This record gives sequence, structure tokens and C-alpha cells, in this order.
Amino acid sequence: MASDKQCVAMLLAGGQGTRLGVLTKEVAKPAVPFGGKYRIIDFTLSNTINSDIDTIGVLTQYQPFELNQYIGNGQPWDFDRLDGGAFVLPPYQTAKSGEWYKGTANAIYQNINFADRYNPEYVLILSGDHIYKMDYSKMLSSHIKNGADCTIAVLDVPIEQASRFGIMSADSNNRITEFEEKPKHPKSTKASMGIYIFTWAKLKEYLIKDEADKNSYNDFGKNIIPNMLRDGQKMYTYDFVGYWKDVGTISSLWEANMDLLDPQSGMNLSDRKWIVYARNAAEPPRYVGLNAKLFNSVVSEGGEIDGDISNSIVSTGVVVEKGAIVKDSVLMPNSIIRKGAVVSHAIVGWNAEVGENCVIGEHQSGPINGEWKIAVVGPRVSIKKGDKVAAGEMIGAEGGK
Amino acid sequence: MNTKMMAILFASGNENKFNDLTIHRTTTSMPFAGRYRLVDFALSSFVNSGATRIGIITRNNYSSLMDHIRMGRDWDLNRKNSGIAVFPPFGLNTSKEMYKGKIEALYTILDFIEKAPEDYVILSNGNIAANIDYTKVLERHIEKGADLTILCHKAQCVNSSKRVIVGRDKKDFVNDLYSVEVPSQDLKLVSLGVYVVAKDILLNWIQQAYARGFVDFETDILFKEVKNGKLLAYEITEFAAIIDDVKTYYAESMKVLDFDIREQLFGGKNKIFTKVKDSVPTTYGEKAVVVNSLIADGCTINGTVINSILFRNVKVEDGVVIRDSIVMEDGTIMENSQLSHVITDKRVTVQPGRELKGLQTYPIVVVKNKVV
Repeated sequence: MASDKQCVAMLLAGGQGTRLGVLTKEVAKPAVPFGGKYRIIDFTLSNTINSDIDTIGVLTQYQPFELNQYIGNGQPWDFDRLDGGAFVLPPYQTAKSGEWYKGTANAIYQNINFADRYNPEYVLILSGDHIYKMDYSKMLSSHIKNGADCTIAVLDVPIEQASRFGIMSADSNNRITEFEEKPKHPKSTKASMGIYIFTWAKLKEYLIKDEADKNSYNDFGKNIIPNMLRDGQKMYTYDFVGYWKDVGTISSLWEANMDLLDPQSGMNLSDRKWIVYARNAAEPPRYVGLNAKLFNSVVSEGGEIDGDISNSIVSTGVVVEKGAIVKDSVLMPNSIIRKGAVVSHAIVGWNAEVGENCVIGEHQSGPINGEWKIAVVGPRVSIKKGDKVAAGEMIGAEGGK
Repeated sequence: MNTKMMAILFASGNENKFNDLTIHRTTTSMPFAGRYRLVDFALSSFVNSGATRIGIITRNNYSSLMDHIRMGRDWDLNRKNSGIAVFPPFGLNTSKEMYKGKIEALYTILDFIEKAPEDYVILSNGNIAANIDYTKVLERHIEKGADLTILCHKAQCVNSSKRVIVGRDKKDFVNDLYSVEVPSQDLKLVSLGVYVVAKDILLNWIQQAYARGFVDFETDILFKEVKNGKLLAYEITEFAAIIDDVKTYYAESMKVLDFDIREQLFGGKNKIFTKVKDSVPTTYGEKAVVVNSLIADGCTINGTVINSILFRNVKVEDGVVIRDSIVMEDGTIMENSQLSHVITDKRVTVQPGRELKGLQTYPIVVVKNKVV
């Protein structure tokens, strides 16, 4: 029997992330590489342990193997605990039933028994596809101080972007009065970050009710939150101030990577008081060769650089040969850029190879309607010598776009 | 994987020849190749060869080694069975001082060796940087019916350190062993101080030698065994460095800038593991110029770095020029200072505008934690 925990985290990592196209064909979105040596999920896992929450269930469904292997026993994040730790929770069969996770709320519903083992007072619901650093323990203190049933982390967004989010209206005490999912005419700029703390007994009650409702989408945003609000439960917002980015699209994934190059972006990875942990690849230091030029770039260990790199993220084990030019791009782990290739405003997937003199993407002076036209070479794809990949084009393993 | 071999690593040796680099550490915890310590090469080679029961014999200044190894997890050595045992200096009840040589050191841990289920023992000095596949060594050792196999490589003996030269016959059995004190430019077959030996033979040798008051494993046992014709020479043709003073430390470090040498150390399937420190990737600023250098994670570079090795979390400020130098972990080289042929130990700060110039044959060493 496990001992009691004040708060247990549940991380929703089951989504396919279809908008990331070829990058999430074989792995779930949280397992996509980020920032040279990380995966997207590292940010949430590190936030959790840094917030002194040592028990986390990671709910997987879509392409779970990579994620399962990556998390392993949770040791890189200090989650290898005698009591508690990190647990990968795929859907499972019971004597009565067995089915896929139908929605975010159903995923938690199916794992009520997991959380109950720790008899928690509170449950923290997280999603694995955001880049941010956040101390959840402060949010938990606020939840406890308010005597809340539910606390929702919100970010102040520009009013013109507000209709892309779930928007909270709250009174002067931060008590939520209204919630609208992607409103056409937003009444507030407080956007839900998809981070919730629930008093567990209350959430369980609503999850069970929700499961009985055949017309429900079994979704937190569509069902649980509106239902609780309608019943007058005590729901509060928690204001988060700092860098936060949803990396659900190619354009936003690229932007978030580029933010690492901008000291003004607010994303500072080198704070030793809030380390972002990752599973380590045993690679030797980076070799920078005789012909290399490096300008305003973030470069991880392993591999050799002999080309010309500017404003780019170069991940672990990447090779850039002599005469290759890489600008404003993200090179994911172990990708190879051959001689004379030109890569601009592009994402090159892990283990991909860009052949000699290829031209990948083209220079973009800015986003169009908020979207950058980023060229994407899928993981393990090989682009033949001299081929071109146009701006905004996406090449997958079977040559499919 | 097999569990035929266990390993004993000697952490100390030649510490007085490192011009201050070993004031705070044992030889085997010398930082090497940008993110490693010498012990990483030994431990990784052992683990990759299936030798997961490892005893480390230390003599002095071993706290940095303990801090590096912790429970051995980073080498996958936090096992229920086997794993790492560190033996701090241990005088026998009957002796008044610490052990004098390898024979006495081994004698103090006879119990550990005897109780282990493995049939063969790897004995390794701690001052070696090489990626060694001991399974191949053992295969040949058994095939040839040797008592003990000496790992060696072809090298010049350019420094005055006591190196052991190996003579061998056509069948690779050792027919001569002698130590040199005189520097020489000729390529010779030099012992790495790394051996594979059957456990029962080792135990017998140690008991016999200790009983007769012998001290030195090489001169008192191996040199005398040559005549029995059962010592086998095993030549390592890939890169292997013996680090025994500042000069060899500097020269062997710089060799790692060569592609072929890096391939031999890191390119194969057997990885070299080290303590995980969760550093961020390195940032190259708008004024960074980096040529022919090895750069570990966590650095911030805004100056010029040529033919050099930067360990983790080094800061190179504006206008700095670093040439032919080694900057160890957490070094800060402040603006407009210039380093050439310099080795700075961990957490050294070089203040703005300073100029430090050593020689290829005599690099300047800046001691740990110092501000220049």
C-alpha cells in the first residue's frame, strides 16, 4: 500500500498532435525533441519535480513506446522513488470494461484507482505539450487558501488572440464567474493554460457523473469545468506570469525553439535553481571544425560542425558538413546536413539526412496571419542530393507530404 | 554479456607530477576531453565488457572521486548484485601506515576478490584514457592459455616518467619487461598498466609476494614471471593515452581534436558514460568565433576559441582569445583576456584584459578556484 500524498499529478500525454504532421507520425507530441537536448514533456516533468510533487501518472495512448522508453523509471527527473514516482498509464482492461481514452476527463476517470492509491487531497492535471517553467506549489497554496474545488491557471493574452483559448471571467477575488471555450467575442483576456488543480473528492464526483452522461465529450474544457461552474462550485483562477507556449503547430514549435535564442523571450534554461531535466544521451562534446561559423545559436553535444550556422538550434549528435548553410532553423537530434546544402526557416527531423546541395525552405521575413511557412523534413527522411523542399512544405518517410 | 570478469581500478599514481592539477583529486578523477574524467573511460570500458563488479582502490584526495561516482548509476552500476565498491586508504591492523604499493593494496582487499564469483580480474591503472573491449582481450587470453595478459600500445617515451617496455616473441608472449627512465623518440611497445589475469593465479601471486614483503606488482611479480613464458602481450591499436604528468595530459588532450582519435574513443557502439549534470546546450553569441575545438554543454561563448577544449559551463566573454588551451568546468574568461597554452582547473576566473601564455612543452596551470 502506498502512503498518502497531498497532491498527485496527472499528465495528459495521449494526444496525437496531428497538426505537427510528420513529426508526430511515429511518436506522441510530448516526445517530440525540443531546444537541442530536450523533449517537449521534459518541461512539465521538471516543473512537477521542482514543485516538490513526487508522484505523477503519465497518461499515454497514441504511439506510446517512445514515450514509455523515454520516461523509463523516471530517474532523469528524480522520479525513481521508493514511494511514488513516475508511472506511465496506458488504457487498460478491467473485468467489466476496457476502452481507449475517450477524452481528457475520461482518461482521468479510467485512472481513478491509480490516484486513489495515494489518497490525495488534490490532483494536478497537466498537459504534455507546453513549453514553460512554473511552480505548481504556489498554485496549490492559492487553491488551499481559497478553499477552492477547482483552480485553473490562466495567462493574460492579447485580446486579439483570446478567441483561440478557453477564456475565464472572474470577479475581483479571482473567483470564476464565466467560462467560454474559444469565444468569438471574448469578455476577458484570461486564457486557460490547461493546468488545473482539483480537490480530488470533488473531481471524482464530477468524473463519475460525467461518465454516466452518454452525451458528454468527456472533456475537461467542454464538460467538467462548465458543469462545475453551473453547479456553483468554488472555482478560482491562478494568474501565471512568465513564458508559456503551446507548441501544437509547426509554426509555434519553430517559434518556441527560436525563443531560446532571444534573451528577451523570457525562456531562460540556464537557471540552476529551476533545472529542466532530460534523459541524457552519452555523447562526447561538440566538435567545431576548421571551417565552421556559428552565430547566435544554441548547440548541444555530440557530432561535428564544419558549416555556417546562424540563428539556429542544433541538437545532440547533429552533423553539419563543410559549406552547408543553416539559418533560422531547428536541427533535431542526429540529423545530417551534407556539403553545400542550404537550410533556411526549416525543421529537420531526428535522424534525417539533407543531401549535398539540397535547398530546404526559404527565408521568411515574418509570419503571415500568425503562421510562419516552415519547411519540414520528417524524422529519418533522406532528401536526395540537389532536391528542394519548398517553404511550408512537409516531407514524410514515404515521400508523402 | 558475460559475468566472467571483475575489475580493480587503482585511482592514484604520479600525483606529484601534475603541477597542482591533482592537489584536490586523485589521478583518475582528472578531467579529460571536455566532459569526462579519466575514471569514466575505465568504468565505461569495464561495464561495456560485462565487468560490473568493480573495486576502486584509492589512496588520498578521493572525495572528488566519490562525488563523481556517487552510487555508480551513470554507468549503470547501481546494481543489486555487483556494482562499485570504493576502498578508501586502509591500513592492515598490523601496519602503521597506508599501503605502499599495489601488492599490499590488493592484499588488503583479498577478501573482496576471493568472494567474487568471477573467474578473471581486470587490473587497471587509473591514468588511462581508452575505450577498451575487454571481452576480446579475455578471449585471446583464454585461447592462448596465458597466466596474465598485459595491454600495451606503441608509443614514444618522451617524458621521464617510468614507463614499462614490453618485448614479445612471434606468438605475442612477453620475453622482456623493463622500465625506462630515459626519454626516447623511438616507437616502443609500452605497457598501459592494464592487465587481465585469472583470479586464482592473482590470489596466489599476491599471497606469495606479500608474505615475502614485496611491494611493487610490476617489478616484484611481473618482471620475475617473464621467465615462465606465460605473460601475453595484447596490443591496443586504437587510441590509448597514458596520462602521467602535465605535459602528457596536455598533449593527449589535444590529440582528441583529431577526428580519427575521437572516432576511436567515442565512435563505436561502446559509449563512454559520465556523471549527468543536466547542463543546457551551449550558446554561441553574435561575436563567437570557434575553430577546431571541443565544446561541452552549458558554455556561453562570445569570444574567439581556437584549437582548444572547453569543459561544461565555461563563459567566454567579448574580445577574449583562447588558443591551444584547456578550460575546465565553470571557468570564466572575462573580456579581452588572452590565453595561450594554458590549462585552467575548475572554477577559475581570469579577469578582464589578462594575458596568460604558456608553452606547448610547458603549459601554464591555473589552480582550482583561483582568480587570475
